[in-house]
Amino acid sequence: MTETETTVRDDPPRTPFEPEDRWVPVDRRWFGLDRVTIIPAAIVLAVAIVMSILIPAVNNSVAYDDEVVAGDVMELKDGITFVPAVGWGITDGVRETDAPVSGSFPQRATLVNSGALFTVYTAPFAGDANALLEQIKKTSDALATAESLRVSGDSSSITTASGIRGVITSYSNSTADGVIAAFVVDGKGIEVVSTGPSDVAPTITDDIAHMIVSISHRAGEGS
Amino acid sequence: MSTPTTQPANDLLTRAGAIENSGWGRSFTFYQPRNAAFWVYLALVVSGAFKFFSLLSSSAGAYGEAIALSLVLFGVYGAIFWWFTQHIDRYARQPVKLIVVAFLWGSFAATWVMAANANDAILSLYAKTFGQAWASDWGPGLTAPFTEEIAKGIGVLLLIALASRLVRTAFDGFILGAFIGLGFQIFEDVLYALNSAASQFGADPVGAAMPTIILRMVFGVAAHTLYSAIFGAGLVYLLGRPAEPRRVGRGLALMATAMLLHGLWDSAGALTQGKNALLFPLFFVMVAAALTLVVRVFRMTVPRERQFLSDILAPEVDRGVITDEEFVALCGDHKARRAFRKSAGGHAARKRAEYVLEAAADLADALADSHGTNTGRVEFARSEVSRIRSGQPSVKL
Repeated sequence: MTETETTVRDDPPRTPFEPEDRWVPVDRRWFGLDRVTIIPAAIVLAVAIVMSILIPAVNNSVAYDDEVVAGDVMELKDGITFVPAVGWGITDGVRETDAPVSGSFPQRATLVNSGALFTVYTAPFAGDANALLEQIKKTSDALATAESLRVSGDSSSITTASGIRGVITSYSNSTADGVIAAFVVDGKGIEVVSTGPSDVAPTITDDIAHMIVSISHRAGEGS
Repeated sequence: MSTPTTQPANDLLTRAGAIENSGWGRSFTFYQPRNAAFWVYLALVVSGAFKFFSLLSSSAGAYGEAIALSLVLFGVYGAIFWWFTQHIDRYARQPVKLIVVAFLWGSFAATWVMAANANDAILSLYAKTFGQAWASDWGPGLTAPFTEEIAKGIGVLLLIALASRLVRTAFDGFILGAFIGLGFQIFEDVLYALNSAASQFGADPVGAAMPTIILRMVFGVAAHTLYSAIFGAGLVYLLGRPAEPRRVGRGLALMATAMLLHGLWDSAGALTQGKNALLFPLFFVMVAAALTLVVRVFRMTVPRERQFLSDILAPEVDRGVITDEEFVALCGDHKARRAFRKSAGGHAARKRAEYVLEAAADLADALADSHGTNTGRVEFARSEVSRIRSGQPSVKL
């Protein structure tokens, strides 16, 4: 090895001084910020605003117009059905004639009318209707905040037109009232929650009662 | 004797160029008050973390055990993915701080500030426009691939602005994208577990959550981590970087591929019309296809990193620190490394060969940190390569 080679190998090219990460060249400073970071930051911020504010705002500005008409029947998972009241709006769930191609009906259906909300939810449950209501109360209490509706301790029996036995109780806070009903059929629990303003119209109350007693189970499905 | 003198000088210049271009060994400082990206990152990640922990705390009263279990199990699961992703990042390794920053973007900002809000709203708009049944079938597959891939992928753009000296190649986008996806996946999985815990009226939260946790773990091997790795590589190709020429077509194709994989996965139930006999085979086919694709993208992006490693270590071959065989194995793929180990002979020799490669990788790190100059650490790293090759014991007692 020659002297020249040795010198070159032991003395690699000198690297220029590297400033620390926070240093910004003077010709890139803009109101204290690094100018080249503004565009990418603005793009990300704009996308975040579109996703978290703009799209939800567009959604909120579009009203549901899927209104129940005579003859409609709502179907939930495992063959649970009920007859929705005419004129109510469907905000969640599907009609029995409108089965998803995936073959599985959803677990929940929700209808709204004049500030009142009616939701039916189904899921597996091992126990009877009283046990289900107790479980709903226990979970509701565990999740409750000061403003939450509270499940009443009193309950009474209810039987649907198709013969499913269940229990029903009241559900309220200082500004809203409602009912919770629980049914169990073939190992499937059915929870009905309906809430609305304290001064809800009597026709709405009648609609809710009719929807609860219309709950039925198509035998052989999901069992 | 001009040729022998010029060749090493050229090698050293090439090494210096590779270190500069790759960003290898450069530091990362998170607190950059003059960087607009820092403030956007901070605002969105803190908002997302607040939203996530508010959600957990409001549900903890009823589903505390299920939440704790899912956090532990997905934490372990995430740690395995973390190890694997760091393991394949064997070249110009990203600093741990930058990897944590990427992970937190996916965990909180992309998930809870961006995707969750947009997903709910778009699914609701689909239901209003096309009906609940259509939205139930096709809504997820036509929402999440766009909102979630963009929410995660745009994090790579933010990381480029935060660490422009470090994010230099499509491979860097691949690795950082993977960590963003990993954060997204882990925290989304916790939400899925929480939803399942609540699904049976809260009667058996742990029992109700376990099937979801297991399924998410099994099929998670080809989920967000993988999609975001592909998307991140595509974004760097689309934008171009100092060490990665812009390739708009390739970039868009990779980003679209990530979205397509995601969309097919989310539409599997509708595509198979709910038939389990078709659904699970389709899941396995999609996992296999996704893994094949991600390996191809890895192979597409990694040569540039291997070239950097080759440029950095080539003068060490001239110097006699590394042999030609070791050099080929170091700069080759896993097959080259395996062939090198096998050629060593018995078990002890194969193990030693593996250690030599690791010591040579340490030498590359030391050279990158020193900008190619001969520091005490570099000399020590050279001596370690020789020591391990000779089978001498470590000087560290």
